[in-house]
Amino acid sequence: MRKGLLRIAWRASSVLLVLAVWEGISRSGLVNPRLFPGLGAIGDEFVSLFTTGLIWEHLGATLIRVAGGFSAAAIVGILLGFVMARFALFGRLFEPFFSATYPVPRVAVYPIFVLAFGLGHLSKIALVFLECLYPIAINTYYGTRAVDRQLVWASQNMGASPRQVFWKVVIPAASPHIFAGLRIALPVALVIAVITEMIGATEGIGYLVAYAAASLSRAQVFAGVLVIAIVGFALDRAITLARDRFIFWQRPGVAIG
Amino acid sequence: MRRALEALALPLAVIAIWEVLAAAGALPRYVSRPSAIGAELWQLARSGDIVEHAAVSLYRSMTGLLIGALSGIVLGLLSGAIRPVAIFFDPLVAFTNPVPKIAILPVLIVWFGITDTSKIVLIAITTFYPCFLAAYAGVRQVQPAWIWAARNMGARADQVFLKVLVPAAMPHVVGGLRIALALAFILMFASEAIGTAHRAGLGFLVIFAESGGRFDLMLSAIATIGLLGFAADRLLLVAARRVLRWQPEVFRA
Repeated sequence: MRKGLLRIAWRASSVLLVLAVWEGISRSGLVNPRLFPGLGAIGDEFVSLFTTGLIWEHLGATLIRVAGGFSAAAIVGILLGFVMARFALFGRLFEPFFSATYPVPRVAVYPIFVLAFGLGHLSKIALVFLECLYPIAINTYYGTRAVDRQLVWASQNMGASPRQVFWKVVIPAASPHIFAGLRIALPVALVIAVITEMIGATEGIGYLVAYAAASLSRAQVFAGVLVIAIVGFALDRAITLARDRFIFWQRPGVAIG
Repeated sequence: MRRALEALALPLAVIAIWEVLAAAGALPRYVSRPSAIGAELWQLARSGDIVEHAAVSLYRSMTGLLIGALSGIVLGLLSGAIRPVAIFFDPLVAFTNPVPKIAILPVLIVWFGITDTSKIVLIAITTFYPCFLAAYAGVRQVQPAWIWAARNMGARADQVFLKVLVPAAMPHVVGGLRIALALAFILMFASEAIGTAHRAGLGFLVIFAESGGRFDLMLSAIATIGLLGFAADRLLLVAARRVLRWQPEVFRA
């Protein structure tokens, strides 16, 4: 019991230490408190973002972009991954293309997307889609190819139709890999939404933070960063929970891919 | 040979269709055309302009990557090997990892101004995470039997760490470095596009060319960023394959 408490204290210590150091620097007077607002000032600003309702419009815009781009990429990416794995010709055409362009920073085409789709939702959704497509399609492709042959043969032996093999064997067997791809893609979706909003937008959390920085309201910058942090954390929890529910036969927390 | 042709089929087809449609005037002006971009790139390379911008961008991204990757790998390896270190860092990293690090760029700009420092710090923080997590996981997956064997043969703790744990974790570390490298380029572009002092860097060039309507220049700069990202990844793989010669072929490009 005693040991357990000690352990929890030690576990929380790093987070508490960082917060304490922060507050200490802010109070010490060594740094201009306008540059380095204390936790209280940031907290006040965080609360007022919600009480004034300022945050909702921006949060909503960002979430629409994340959800739109991510779900489009999930649908297209999973389908594309299956097609590439099932039809060798597609695999040979697309796989080298994906692996060659994987390290290319695709965010650089954002200015083209702005010219093509404007400054609103569509240019951001398009870039989120493009960035998320890669991990999802590639993980689905390799996951589907890695399905144990014997599982497929066994089900065929027992008289399963190709359709049944696909739905009852291939999809469940590949789903840990597919979820691994989705879990890589979701934080990317938020990162790209925020980046694009900082580069050029009229609303969104990224825009809010960049705007607050430009208008020298530092505490609001930190409060906005806190909102982004919480959203990022919540999205990651959500996809992990979804995975543990959907792939219930695998022990939660097992690292895949 | 046949594989190479197949691999090139899709990109070549896209470029050919792009060129034909652009020549026919069916595409908007901002997508330019491949031949114009090629000519512009050649011009830029000969005058050395693109080299200057690329050098500034690479300085920012590679310095940041070096700091972030080194600290991430060292702390990750130590966390994997020493339990109290892991208990200290694990909650901190687990809590902050899903947070988009780009969000703190405005904070860094408040502290350091629109300088190289704010970009380098941002890239260092971002690249720290995949390196830390990969090095940590790399040490954790080492088979206990190897550690027991080394101890049995009389290895001290530091020898076990340096001669068993670190080499065995290397393939994971390379995987983390690849992710970090890609992130370094993404944040290089993003931070330069958001704000750049003394008008230098590829990200600046993209935004500058766009606002001036010089779409061939804009696409040349984008192509340069893409080529650099691709080349850096290949370079890392070649280096990893050389250093980890004793590993079975795990780093197929």
